[in-house]
Amino acid sequence: MKKTVDVSVPLGPMHPCWKEPVRLKCETAGERVLKTELELGYMKKGIERIMRGRPWQEVMFLAERVCGICSVVHNMVFIETMEEISDIPVPPRAAYLRVVVNELDRMASHLIANFSYCYTIEHETLAMYLLNTREIVLDNLERITGSRINTAYMIPGGVRFDLLPEDAAAMLADLVKVEDEMKRYVRIFETGPLIALRSKGIGFMSREEAIRSHTVGPTARASGVEDSDLRLRHPTYQALDFKQITRTEGDNFARIMVRFQEVFQSIDLIRKCVETLPDGPIRGGGLCKAGEASYAGEAPRGELTYTIKTDEYGRVVDIAIRTPSIMNIEACAHTMIKGATSIADVTSTFISSDPCVACNER
Amino acid sequence: MSILQKIKNTVRSRSIHVSYVDVGSCNGCDIEVLACLAPRYDIEQYGIYVHNNPREADVLLVIGSVTPQWVDKLRDIWDKIPEPKVAVAIGNCPISGCVYARRGTLTSPPVEKYIPIAAQVPGCPPRPTEILNAILSVAPLIFKDYEEKQP
Amino acid sequence: MKYLYEKDLRQMKYNILTSTKHDEAVRAIAERLGMSDAKLRMVLIRRFDMSLLENLESRWQMGQRHADDGDPVAKGLGYELFTRFIPLVDTETMQTIYSDTTAMTQEIPFDEAIARGKEQIREAVLS
Repeated sequence: MKKTVDVSVPLGPMHPCWKEPVRLKCETAGERVLKTELELGYMKKGIERIMRGRPWQEVMFLAERVCGICSVVHNMVFIETMEEISDIPVPPRAAYLRVVVNELDRMASHLIANFSYCYTIEHETLAMYLLNTREIVLDNLERITGSRINTAYMIPGGVRFDLLPEDAAAMLADLVKVEDEMKRYVRIFETGPLIALRSKGIGFMSREEAIRSHTVGPTARASGVEDSDLRLRHPTYQALDFKQITRTEGDNFARIMVRFQEVFQSIDLIRKCVETLPDGPIRGGGLCKAGEASYAGEAPRGELTYTIKTDEYGRVVDIAIRTPSIMNIEACAHTMIKGATSIADVTSTFISSDPCVACNER
Repeated sequence: MSILQKIKNTVRSRSIHVSYVDVGSCNGCDIEVLACLAPRYDIEQYGIYVHNNPREADVLLVIGSVTPQWVDKLRDIWDKIPEPKVAVAIGNCPISGCVYARRGTLTSPPVEKYIPIAAQVPGCPPRPTEILNAILSVAPLIFKDYEEKQP
Repeated sequence: MKYLYEKDLRQMKYNILTSTKHDEAVRAIAERLGMSDAKLRMVLIRRFDMSLLENLESRWQMGQRHADDGDPVAKGLGYELFTRFIPLVDTETMQTIYSDTTAMTQEIPFDEAIARGKEQIREAVLS
């Protein structure tokens, strides 16, 4: 029998499939991956260190710059942590508007995650369809908040801009279009025989492994971890009767499908929000006080925790951010990719966990 | 102008290969570069092809303030790109460091310290149309009559 | 031109561990193992890759919540905690230590046996 040579295959830091730099070293026997090691540090900006000792007015904008894809939710969780520290009430209209903007951001994030996956498995048609759909979602985000990526929409005790009736009508019309198109794309993805060949049964992660490495978000939900969506604990989402989506396959296909299903769910949530949008002020106001709190919210990729300690002037004394990608990338590198039968599956498996290196390293 | 130069000019004006490298940003600019691929902006109608291989690139889009890992590697990537080449800085980070150039940071902006930058697109993040416009306006300036301009 | 590049990652790994939450987790693990923080940091930087270091805190949290239910010896030693949640000791070594300790509990008091087992784990971690 011919003896195969054990090779170490480094992927990255610059790789056609990866949007952000990260270096993945795979030790292989033939095509089988035995062990993986992840080398980070390409995106380590030390944002927690920059945030320390700055007033919340500055940290609010810095929090957005932790991650550009899910900037809205970083803003939202930071502001909600500050509100919890200082007991600032949120007017009901503002709470609903926050949900609308957050869900638009989630749709954009899920669409770009699925775009990346389709692009990686070289299904460029579907990838381009999804990217174009994302533009429609970003248009609506821009119409409400005034910016495409870094919106800075939320402030303690409310939001910056109101949702005008004509904007709401335009958004609902756009959402009908998005929903129609998405139905078609999901059908393409679900029934495509070649997509199934490259996705089903690849990158499997069991429920126990998902729990052990504290996987969160769609990656955990695709492995069948129940009660892993923090929106279930958020009062506004509870009022909107939110239900979690869970799949049990735990492979690449399931992870992408969970994201697709969550896009539809987000559309429904936005519709419900706009229908039941209460009247009233959008900005309450309040004073940021001294205190310490840990608060978690559901980012597109999973659980996002901010632990903040402030002094009496509202300055951030100490801050720790735990982003969902920390857990997801680690689980992906050390359990999903390990044991992959082909090097060709490594990139698609890595992308399927929606890695956000900027989040991971902060 | 020689006939060879004319052919080269024609070819180069309709075939620009773009590679992007993120040297430590919030990846907001990253996804705006990706958004240029979308059929709405349709970067490929101008003959620009975005991929991530520096060895066959003409234009390098640099995104982000420089993190410790990139301090030595950015120059390597720049050296691997064949001539003629041009680097464009996308966003505020490569120009000034944006919000990351503060006390306690691990980054060391600007990118100009490491590689020559031909054009800058400020914005946090810039719109896809602005990125597209920058590539389209800077590439002809560098690539037209490149061989004749050489001393 | 360089074709292979491996950079010294120790400073960057240390930077990861200086974050507030990670620092707390490292101190907690060091206390559990009964060794000094600096030594544990050294071991962590040498053994773990950067992604695992970033995830240290949540793995430690999940380990405390889910690891070693039931068996008192395994719980005292942190059998699953230090092999599967925070892989500081490989499974075979841990299995030997575990069977040694289980045998010892028959002869000497339980607490003393666990303390001796922990001593062996410390050696395995530092080796």
